[in-house]
Amino acid sequence: MTFTPLRGAVAAVALIAAMPAAAEDLVIGLRAGPDSIDPHWSTLGSQAEALRHVYDTLVDVDDKLQLKPGLAVSWEPIDDTTWDFKLREGVKFHDGTDFTAEDAKFSIERIPEVTGPMSMTLYTKYVDSVEIIDDYTLRVHTKGIAPALPNDFTRLFVVPSETGMEAGNEEFNSGEKAIGTGPFTFVSWQPKGDLVLEKFDGWWGGEVAWDTVTRKEIPDDAARVAALRSGQVDLINYVPASDYLSMQNDSDLETFVSDSVYILNVQPSQAQPLPQKVRVNGEEIDDNPLADLRVRKALDLAINRDVLVNVVLEGLGTPANQLMPEGFFGYTDEIGAKPYDIEQAKELLAEAGYPDGFEIDFTCTNNRVPGDAVVCEALAQMWSRLGLTVNAQALNGTVFFPAAARKEYSMAMSAWGTLTGEAAYTYGAMIRTPDAEKGFGNFNRTDYSNPEFDAVFDEGAQTLDAEERRALYEEASLIAMEDRALIPTVILQTVWAADADTLDFTARVDQETRAYEIMPAE
Amino acid sequence: MLGYLIRRLAQAVVVVFAMSIIVFVGVYAIGNPIDVLIDPGATQEIRAKLIAQYGLDQPLWRQYFTFLANVAQGDMGTSMVYNIPVVDLVFSRLPATLELVLVSIMIATCIGIPAGLYAGYRPDSIAAKAIMALSVLGFSVPTFWIGMLLIMTFAVNLGVLPSGGRGDVGSFLGINTSLATLDGWSHVILPAINLSLFKMGLMIRLTRAGMVEAMRTDYVKFARAQGLTDREIIFSHVLRNISIPIVTVFGLELGSTLAFAVVTESVFTWPGVGKLIIDSILQLDRPVMVTYLVLVVILFVLINLVVDLVYARLDPRVRLKGGA
Repeated sequence: MTFTPLRGAVAAVALIAAMPAAAEDLVIGLRAGPDSIDPHWSTLGSQAEALRHVYDTLVDVDDKLQLKPGLAVSWEPIDDTTWDFKLREGVKFHDGTDFTAEDAKFSIERIPEVTGPMSMTLYTKYVDSVEIIDDYTLRVHTKGIAPALPNDFTRLFVVPSETGMEAGNEEFNSGEKAIGTGPFTFVSWQPKGDLVLEKFDGWWGGEVAWDTVTRKEIPDDAARVAALRSGQVDLINYVPASDYLSMQNDSDLETFVSDSVYILNVQPSQAQPLPQKVRVNGEEIDDNPLADLRVRKALDLAINRDVLVNVVLEGLGTPANQLMPEGFFGYTDEIGAKPYDIEQAKELLAEAGYPDGFEIDFTCTNNRVPGDAVVCEALAQMWSRLGLTVNAQALNGTVFFPAAARKEYSMAMSAWGTLTGEAAYTYGAMIRTPDAEKGFGNFNRTDYSNPEFDAVFDEGAQTLDAEERRALYEEASLIAMEDRALIPTVILQTVWAADADTLDFTARVDQETRAYEIMPAE
Repeated sequence: MLGYLIRRLAQAVVVVFAMSIIVFVGVYAIGNPIDVLIDPGATQEIRAKLIAQYGLDQPLWRQYFTFLANVAQGDMGTSMVYNIPVVDLVFSRLPATLELVLVSIMIATCIGIPAGLYAGYRPDSIAAKAIMALSVLGFSVPTFWIGMLLIMTFAVNLGVLPSGGRGDVGSFLGINTSLATLDGWSHVILPAINLSLFKMGLMIRLTRAGMVEAMRTDYVKFARAQGLTDREIIFSHVLRNISIPIVTVFGLELGSTLAFAVVTESVFTWPGVGKLIIDSILQLDRPVMVTYLVLVVILFVLINLVVDLVYARLDPRVRLKGGA
């Protein structure tokens, strides 16, 4: 390499451009951002993640999704349908006014008035009425017994009662109404653009390390990695698997890996007849083999989860043995690692009356989570070793979800995240027999229905004592997994990356990137 | 001339209607937008309420006529995802796309046409062959790949230009544009070059083909016999004669680049409309889809109109009649 004046000039400019930004500014490159600055508009995960910087919730969650105090310092049930929340004293909004129970009440009541198609009323569905006992005590009367109320309130952002019911997204997006109690004040935002935040000195949660934080939305994976490598951003989330491998060999960059809440579940439909009929020796049959437990067990045994993790996902996953990661409320220790046994699987299939297998359609998403399409194809190959002919098809989520809602698939796979960190969220939606009145089974697309499971689950959902409830949910986990109601395959992992030794960062299982929990490395 | 304009506008109205019907039927065929948007924890009650709230439980024809009635009152609707009027949403992103496309078209024209002229003037020279080879590259190499190469070279390895984003926005003659600041230019230059390569290739080939053909015609020979220099011949006679296909393609490319600059926009995280429309399609945000596509139709009609007017200016034989 020869030195030329031009190269020298380029290098000089490069040096100036590459100079680190002042230590107190943090620029983060994120795959997705909020849809609005109104914290009551949408349940979207990336929305809650972004708005947490401006607003606080009544109840918070730690990096393993277990509850911890937020604007409420403690909470307890008074009787079957009443909860008291003790609120934090001395908290100030960004405009200087004090936070009181009035603001919390207003925020709960505002949700049904303003929420959008990703409706936040799902977090207030148990709330019957809200009563102010004194400035720092909030009493919530529930519809029926609601043990999960504190979990629901982990997404309950508080805005000042002066906001007014008529304020909408425009007033929030402009910053006029974007007033919270959070660690940062709102500076500016545009749909799909940068969210700019400034430190709020009076935050109750303690000192924050950054004066300004810019959350840049960079949806394209390659562009996000390039932004980090060129020094435009300090930290990125959702590093793709291919770049993760090359970053491991790059001493300039550091990666952070965490299990996510997302698990890829196979959903075998037990509907009679199947929406897409199976074929034996080329002839369509009316029977549904998936309704036979032995067949579902065979499908389960034929999945080699170690191969899925180590080969298909390039190490970015963990074998799943139930519908939640370990440590979640309702996870049972009594299910060990899922075995891989192709011989036993073949026997079970023969016992069920399909010694020569059958031909079946298998539909998955291809863009919802990293790896969904490749796991889909790998599963089809694994089942072909069992003697099945599997027509795997990975579809865009825009097409997949409405069709899945119409129950058009015999066997499907998509990712499900236990976003609240407890079992009721997942079991109530996907496993429980549909019951419109109780609001259960809305995502039960497989027609699985087991009265034994329903009884145990319902009892849990009516039990206020946390430990008793935990035991009931663990029993429910056992029943659902013994029945192979769904077949969990792998827990996906998430990767963040930053310049080596610049940031002190703890990866969270809910995949949130919280600027106020990040410190400059010493 | 007036008849011609009226006819053109009538065509545009028909196309706009057809477009909006296609979007409605298309979204209806895919399924219910609520099923794409809804949170997994939602109950049937919440789902049913939402579907009713957005009028999605109505028959398709009624949904469409409700939409038409609103449009007649000047209301194009509100985005289901962002809850802001779609017109505001689209126009908040349009300036970014406009400036990117204008810069890229400028680059394509200012380099493409002279290069094409030269390649046609001295078709056997080495420089001409190099230009033609480059134009083939501009055509055939995928945009996103060149974009990544540009980023790797100039942003990551040399570190002289930013890897993406729009940069500082300044004010020039009352227009807010990033072209008014140096930082803005440093952000726009890479994506603009990336976006211009395909068009540049096209310009070069079109200009060269026209040039080669024109140099053999009689009027050029007569001009030469008159003693005009090659420079005078090319710039005052040939260029004007070969302009018609170039202007046509220029117009078409301007329109399609404005509407579909999405690949470049996402590689360079340019905050333009391209990314917005792709996400709206993925989320079945129907009001945004309809408004945007209607806007694109209007844009194409306007550009074609201007192109036709330019034809008439370039070639006196072209008359704009009602039947054009």
